[in-house]
Parts: sequence; structure tokens; C-alpha cells
Amino acid sequence: MSNQKKRNFQIEAFKHRVVVDPKYADKTWKILEHAIHEIYNHNASGLSFEELYRNAYNMVLHKFGEKLYTGLVTTMTSHLKEISKSIEAAQGGSFLEALNRKWNDHNKALQMIRDILMYMDRTYIPSTRKTPVHELGLNLWRDNIIHSSKIQTRLLNTLLELVHRERTGEVIDRGLMRNIIKMLMDLGATVYEEDFEIPFLDVSADFYKGESQEFIECCDCGDYLKKAERRLNEEMDRVGNYLDAGSEKKITNVVEKEMIANHMLRLIHMENSGLVSMLLDDKYGDLGRMYNLFRRVPDGLQKIREVMTSHIRDTGKQLVTDPERLKDPVEFVQRLLDAKDKYDNIINLAFNNDKTFQNALNSSFEYFINLNPRSPEFISLFVDDKLRKGLKGVSEEDVETILDKVMMLFRYLQEKDVFEKYYKQHLAKRLLSGKTVSDDAERSLIVKLKTECGYQFTSKLEGMFTDMKTSQDTMQGFYASQPDLGDGPTLTVQVLTTGSWPTQSSVTCNLPAEMSALCERFRAYYLGTHTGRRLSWQTNMGTADIKAIFGKGQKHELNVSTYQMCVLMLFNNADRLTYKEIEQATEIPASDLKRCLQSMACVKGKNVLRKDPMSKDIGEDDAFFVNDKFSSKFYKVKIGTVVAQKESEPEKQETRQRVEEDRKPQIEAAIVRIMKSRKQLDHNNIITEVTKQLQSRFLANPTEIKKRIESLIERDFLERDNIDRKLYRYLA
Amino acid sequence: MGIQKDRVKFNVGGRIFETTATTLANAGRNSMFGAMFDEDWNLVLDNFNEYFIDRNPDCFAVLLDLLRTGELYVPAKIPEKLLYREALFYGLLDHVRSAKWGQFDGNRLRLSRSVTGQAPGDGTAIRAGPDGGCCVAHGSIVHVYDWMLDEHPPINLDYQRVNDVGWIDSENIVLGACERLGRGDGGMGLFSSSTGELRYKFQVSHENQIKSYTAGALSFSSDYKIFSSCKGRSNEYGIGVWDQVTGKQIDFFYEPLGWSLGDADKLQWLQGSNCLLVATLFPRKDNCYISLLDFREKQMVWTWSDIGAPLTVDEKRVRDAIAMEESNSICVVNEYEDLGFIDLRSTASSIRWSSRSRLMKGKMPDEPCYPKLALHEGQLFSSMNDSISVFCGPDWVLTSRLRRSYGGSICDFSIGGDRLFALHSEENVFDIWETPSAPLL
Repeated sequence: MSNQKKRNFQIEAFKHRVVVDPKYADKTWKILEHAIHEIYNHNASGLSFEELYRNAYNMVLHKFGEKLYTGLVTTMTSHLKEISKSIEAAQGGSFLEALNRKWNDHNKALQMIRDILMYMDRTYIPSTRKTPVHELGLNLWRDNIIHSSKIQTRLLNTLLELVHRERTGEVIDRGLMRNIIKMLMDLGATVYEEDFEIPFLDVSADFYKGESQEFIECCDCGDYLKKAERRLNEEMDRVGNYLDAGSEKKITNVVEKEMIANHMLRLIHMENSGLVSMLLDDKYGDLGRMYNLFRRVPDGLQKIREVMTSHIRDTGKQLVTDPERLKDPVEFVQRLLDAKDKYDNIINLAFNNDKTFQNALNSSFEYFINLNPRSPEFISLFVDDKLRKGLKGVSEEDVETILDKVMMLFRYLQEKDVFEKYYKQHLAKRLLSGKTVSDDAERSLIVKLKTECGYQFTSKLEGMFTDMKTSQDTMQGFYASQPDLGDGPTLTVQVLTTGSWPTQSSVTCNLPAEMSALCERFRAYYLGTHTGRRLSWQTNMGTADIKAIFGKGQKHELNVSTYQMCVLMLFNNADRLTYKEIEQATEIPASDLKRCLQSMACVKGKNVLRKDPMSKDIGEDDAFFVNDKFSSKFYKVKIGTVVAQKESEPEKQETRQRVEEDRKPQIEAAIVRIMKSRKQLDHNNIITEVTKQLQSRFLANPTEIKKRIESLIERDFLERDNIDRKLYRYLA
Repeated sequence: MGIQKDRVKFNVGGRIFETTATTLANAGRNSMFGAMFDEDWNLVLDNFNEYFIDRNPDCFAVLLDLLRTGELYVPAKIPEKLLYREALFYGLLDHVRSAKWGQFDGNRLRLSRSVTGQAPGDGTAIRAGPDGGCCVAHGSIVHVYDWMLDEHPPINLDYQRVNDVGWIDSENIVLGACERLGRGDGGMGLFSSSTGELRYKFQVSHENQIKSYTAGALSFSSDYKIFSSCKGRSNEYGIGVWDQVTGKQIDFFYEPLGWSLGDADKLQWLQGSNCLLVATLFPRKDNCYISLLDFREKQMVWTWSDIGAPLTVDEKRVRDAIAMEESNSICVVNEYEDLGFIDLRSTASSIRWSSRSRLMKGKMPDEPCYPKLALHEGQLFSSMNDSISVFCGPDWVLTSRLRRSYGGSICDFSIGGDRLFALHSEENVFDIWETPSAPLL
């Protein structure tokens, strides 16, 4: 019955609805207001959507949009104020839950209110440029709830407290956290920033400032980095779990700054665990971690690079200047290669193959390798060693690897021409003594040098190979044309082109008669087939195999140098010879003679001669005998010459001088080339350009360049400008 | 609570309709039906198991049919405006609009309506809006029409002569007007299309001093920039650039000596090459100047002019130009509606005329309208006298011609919102051409 009454009352109201009814708007609004109350009170089930929608439509249609809108604002505000109170009343831990629950309720209510007021939202609001209903609801929530004085700080503190608890290892309700953060985001990016993100970043900075201070006092570098890395990952996870994605960059920046950037130098230089000791111990893991963390902060990698560079330079400098190391060139170079391998591995495994680190490594090597002027010689000796014996039984690929590594060292050399000089000498020795192990390896290295330095660098080296081949053919031709050569000694001649081979001041010694006759026949044959050539004998470079029978009838075949052969042949006709006599008979240069006698008289197991007195050194007054008691378990005995593998001091000077001498025409050629194209240029520019042009071969000395310029002026290639004495002009 | 079964019964203004929830779902959440059937709302059935709606049943029938089929058929007895009002009530106005006409195709256009305005004629420009509305500039007034062709309050900027108008979006219109000497008015303004109120006035400053100016042709880029040709009082001629979001002037390209930018008739932003086409044409100047401006480099990267070109007997002068980025060329048209093409890839190009319409000569009306060009999705449109020609294909073959019997010459036309609007010069009337919806089979 009462139901019936209610209906009647409503129908009454609409029956008499007249637009001019001054109370019409109020009445309609009352209905809508009531509906909004019911919606907020979870009591919407009795509401008729169609009726409410129509009422709201009518209000807008009849120009009561303003009333409807302000009514909505007032009603919603009053509800939110109540909600605010109930949230404030929530105790301790239930605060966030209450907030979240009310937020969900509000969202649902807002959606329903918007449904009713859809027509107003579509027509009245755009034309009056008012805030749409949904946005209005969010704004009112922000102003009345989030920014209410009793909630704002409490919310912030609760959120920060939860983050802190999670950082210290407690488990928190991430779902709730995510919902609340999402609410702040829904209210607008500025709300999230101002009411959470900015204070969050500040608090985080304090937290990590303290923690990093604590860690750095008690941890070694590796442990510290592990902790920093873990913290960084935790923060990224936190963003993924419940913060806005835009915060990731900001919070990681905070961690990076507090934990890494602020302690960067201390970490790198930490005693016994810093960068240097990591490098020493090849701690790829720690180094990689350091790289990845430092990469995130400005100048981080720069610092690592600086320290690594100075460490490599220092250790490298020690290596190349340590007099102990200079004794064994092969080991010297091997150590360089090992060092290079070590750092290559570090850069590869820990530093992400970073180009800037590779460059730093290269420049460091270049720096210290050139600190030692003998580096070119040693590298050539290393190659020599490898190509003589070291490559035996090594696969072709390994050979290539070794050669590639050598080439890498070669690239660091500033005085490439010095290397060339030594390489030529060493190659000559290898070729002439037939010691080279693999022709392929030799040629492969020459190809590498050629690609690195160009044709002119290797043309002479290639010439040496050609000579060897031609000589073989020549010898075949010689013996074919001399059928009458019977049992006498066999002569093998290598005809070397002057210029291609390292010239050595050579005095031709007196060969034994048998040999010199044969040599003369060869000379006649050779000059007969090649007109206009000159042959001179390089007796200092040859070898001989001779048969010897000692006092007790021991028969041996001795492999000796040409000089030694000459000396030994003298003993065919004499039992005792003094030094002076030998020198006179053979005319071997004194230093060579001493060396060759020493190797035959003083080396145990090779002492085919006896010396009086029995001392280690050869004196001018010594006398020599055939050692009748010579014995060896081998039939073939190789009697080496006591040669310093490294050059002796005067030889070194000589090579040096020759290098300097060779550089002169190259510098001059470069100057002329440059001036020819530039016509005129000032002094400093010439120096720069010449240095640039020649740097693939050697580092030209500015004073030397100046001397060359002066020499060219004397020879009328250039002239000085009359006014500006620093200006040179090319004279065509 | 949702709908228990798929069938739904409505009583609309006394007529019973039965439909399905699936059909109603086509209305979308943002409509009355979407809200009504949301589970938040506890639907109340009345005594007859119906939902009562107190609205016009005839219109409901049309709208229900629209929801069922996606097609709109309005019986002659229902005035369009009535239907629109009902659609607005239900929140279905967008559905009606998108069903009312088909996707634009220049070769299938049909004249949909002609609208007569109040002004005496001589319109300056007509511009199609993005959602099917348009605006027409006459003298100092711009009339704005929505897609239902209801007129909204007109807009003006200090009652200055309007040079160009353009739509930023369906709510905002930019208007460029002449300045009146010494008054500091004119320039460019942003207006609400629905209320006609001025929302923002764009300013130009030279050496940090705000100067008054005359805004000429307008163009908009998809990265929210506005370009306008500007003439200041003291040789501050050139192209101004503003940010649509902040409204601030962000750049100014000063006119180089011996060239014309500030007087330009036409600006066109080329998205692909990041350049602005600026064309100043006869008879605004004695010569034609077409150039591409690169604002990052502050350079004219491509130029063409007919200065010094020998005057031919038939005196072909370029009257409009449009860049076609796909074919790297600029299309121009002369007063005889001959199309010409200039290659954009070389800097010393000449016009390759395709003298298609020599027939027009001698048949010119007394008061000719100079041709205008437009490009829309690979179709080229050219207006001439009382008709608009449509050209298609790589060789731009004439495929269609739009003509109507009255209204005189077409002084401007514009394509947008899948409609073509043509403004006639003699009577103040403009036509709306639409593509009919797709055939049934």
C-alpha cells in the first residue's frame, strides 16, 4: 500500500511538470541529488537509470545545466569530505587499505554519476568549457582526500615507510602499494611527482648516502660493487613492481650518484682490491661489474680508463726498461705478447669490447714499447727465433696467430724502418744459413708487412727470396757446365743482389787454395753468362762442411763457418799455429777471428782445437793445436760461432747510423713532395706534414728535418722567403 | 546485474521494440545504452517486462536499425534535425555521422546539399573541418557550420579582412586577418568553432618586440606547428611559425632579397621532406615565386620562379601550385586549367605543361575564377569556373567532373571529413559533395 502511494506521488509530480514551474529545476535536482547519495551509500539498486538520465537531460535542455553542474560539485564534495573523515579515522596499518577501498568505491560511484549525467558531459560541459565529470571527480578526490591536511603527510610517510621496510628486507603488500601508486598516477602526473616521487627520491638519496658510507668502510671493492649492483637491481624491480615506469631513470640515477659516482675514486683506488689489483688478478667478474656500474655515471668509464692506462704504462715501462729482461729478447717480446693477451681478454670479457678501452690499450702499448729503442730489434729477433725453430711442429693456423700478434706489436712501433733493417739482417742470416723453418711462414709475414706498410717496405725482402731461388738455378747450371769437377770440394754460391741484402763491411779473407780455385771457376762461369756484373765474395757469411780425422782416428764431419773452415784448413799443414800466424794467413778481421777461434777452442764439446794457455779468452800471443783428444758422440758436429744473438754495442751503433743515413733521403723526398704540391709553406707546417707522411715508417726528428731542409736549400730545391725567413718556397 | 537473456524489450513512447543486447552493445559504452546495461546499474523492468523510454518512437526505430546494420535510412517524414536531436539524447550522434556518408572517393561524389549563406557573395575561402563541418570566410566574417550544417556563431578578428582560415581540430579554428595601419589589430587568432569566441591571439615579435602584422596564407603540420605568411610594417616579411600547444612563436623565416614569402598565396607543409612549400602567384605579384623552406637549416632548399622567362603568346601564368610528395613534383595550374608539373629533385626545373584543356580558350565566362588545386589520397582536384575536375593515376588523367547548374564560378573548394565543399562566387552558396555508402552487393 505504501508502495502504491509512493508511485502515485511520483506520477503526480511529472503530470504537472511544466517548464515554467519555478520549482521544476529544484525538484529535478533533488531527485538527482538523492540518486548521487544513494550511489555513494551503495544503495543504487533501487534507482531507475532511465528516469535519472532523462531528468539530467531535461535539466540541460531547459537551461539548468549550470545548476546541475554546481549541484554535482557540491554534493560530491560533501561526500568526499565524509570519506576523508572515515579514512583519517583508520588506525595504523589499515590506513592504506581504507584509502584504497574508498578510492575504489569513489571510482565506481563516479562512473555511475557520469552515466546519469552523460548528456551534460556531452553537450553542456564542452560548450561552457567546464571540467568533464570524470576529471572533476578525480580533481575533487585529489583536493578533498589526498591533499587534506590530515591525509597528505600521513600517506606520504606511510608509503616511504613501506619502501624503507622493503629495503631493509621486510615483506610488504606490494599489491596495495601498486594500487595506491596507481591512484596517484590516475590523479595526474604532477600529483604522483609532488606527493610521492620527489620526496621518495630525497629519502632514497639519504638512505643510499648512509648505506654507501657504511659499505665503503667495511667492504673491499669487489664486495661493494656486488652490493651496489644488487641495490640497483632492487630499485629497478621496485619500479617494475609498483612504481610508475617513468621513475626508473630517476631512482637509478639516485643510486648511481650516491653509491657509485660519489665513491668512484675511492673504489678505483681501494687498496688491495681496487682496479689495479683486479687487473693484476684478472678478476673478470669484478671488472665487468665495475664497468657496468661505472658506465652509468658521468666520467665513470673515463676514470677506469685513466687508471688502467697508467697501470699498463707503468708496468709496461718496467717491463721494457728492466735490464734483466733485456738479456733475452725472445722472452722480452713474449712478455709483451702475454701482456697484450691479458688485457685483450680483460677488455673482451669484462669491458664489453669497448672501443675506447681498446684505443687506450693500444696507445699505452705504443707508449711504452717505444720507450725502449731496442724494441724493433727485439721484435725482429723474436720473429727470427720463431722462424728458426719455434714454429716446428706448430700448425699453420697457430703460425698465423703468432705472426698476427707480432704484427700487432709491429704496429705500435714508431721506428718501423729500424725494424725493417733488423728484419732484413735476420732474414738474410736465416736464408743464407738455410735455417728458415717454413717458407710459407716467411712469405706470409712479408705479405702482412706489405699490407701494413706498402710495397716499398718489402720489395727488398722479396728480392732476397728471389736471389735465393735464382742462386739455386745458377748452381745447377754451373755444375752442369763443369763436368770435369770431380771429387774436389763442392761449392755452393748464393749470388746476392747488392742493395737487397744488408751490406756488411766485409773483407774477403784468404780462402784455402782448393776453394779459391773453385771460386775462380765459378766467377768465370757467372760473368760469362751475365755480362756487366761484379762479384765479390762475402766470406763472412758462408758455411762449410768438412771432414776431419783426429789423433786417435776419430772421424767427424764438422759443420763450420767459412772463417772457421779457413782456420781449420791451415792445420792440414801445421800442428801448431800462433794467433798471429793464423791472422796473417787468413786475413780474417780480428774480432771475427777471435770469435771463431773461441768457438773452436774454448767451447766444451766443440773444442776441436787446443789452446795454449788454456784460458777463456783469446789473446794475441796464444798458440793453437789440433785437439787430438776431441770426442763427440755425434758423427756430425756443428760448431757454432760464438755470436751474441743481440748485436754488440758497436754493431748497434752501426745499425743505428745506417738507419739514420737511410732516413735522410726519405725525409728529403717527403719535403720535396710536399713543397712541390704546396709551392710555399712555413717551417712548422712542413715539420707537421713531413712527420705525418713518414709516421708509417718512423718518427722523424724535427732537427733532422730542419737539417734536410737546409741541405735542400743549398742544393737549390727550396729557397727562403726574403721577408719571412720562416717561409720556404719550392724552386721548380 | 547485467542482462540475463539476450532479448531486450523497450517501450519507447508507447511503441514496443524488441532487440538483443548484442545489437545494443554496438552503441558502445559511451552511450545511454552502454551505461544502462552496465552491471553497476540494477535495471528495473516495469510491469510488462519492458524498459520504458520516454522518447520519439519513429526516431528510435531509425536509430535501432542503425545499431543493427550500421546503415542509416531516414524516412522522408522524419526531419534530419529531429533525428539528430534524438541521436544526441542517446549518445549516438557519432554513429549517425559516420553512417551518413561513405569514405571519400573523388570519382563517386554526389551532390548532397547546397547551403545558402547570408553574405552577398565573393567569399574568400571555404575550409572543410576534420569531422565534416566547414567554415566560410567572407570579408571580415567567418561562418562556421558543423557536420549537420547547423550554423554556429560567426567569428571575426577585430572585423579585419580575413585572408585565410584553417581547422586545427574540430573544436578550434585559426583565422588570419589583415592589420589596420597603426591599430595593432589583425594578425592571427584561435577561435572556438562552436561558440565563435576568441581563445588566443598569436603574436609576432622581431628582436624581442611585439609587432602587429598581416597574416596571409596558413598551413598546419602534424607535429603541432602553425605556419603563416606574415607582412609586418617595416619590411618584416616572411613566414612565422607557432606552436599549436603553447601558442608561442617559435620561428620566423625572413624573406630574402628579390624573393617573395610574406605575400604568399599558399603554404603547404610537406611531412616527408620536413619542408614548407611557399607559393606567391600571379596576380598578387607580377611574377610567381615557389620555394621550399627548410626551417632547421634556415634555407630555401628549392626554388622556382618565372622571373625572366619569355612571355609566350598565350601567356600562361601559374595561378595555383601544390606539392605532391609521392611523385617528387609540384603541380601547377594556369588560367586555362592546363596542368603543369615541376620536378622537385632538380633545382633548375622548368614546367612540363600537359595542355589538356586548350578547348577552354575563348569560352571563358565574363568573370572567370582562377583555378585552384587540391590533392586528396592520390586524387588531384582542380576547380575551374563552375566545375571541379578530378585527375587520377600516374599521368593524372581526367576521370570525373563535378558541376552544378547554378551559383556561378567556384571561387574555392576544400576536402576534409570525407566531404568536398565548393564555394560559388556569384551567389553565396556552397555545395557539399559526399560519397554514397557502399552498394548492398
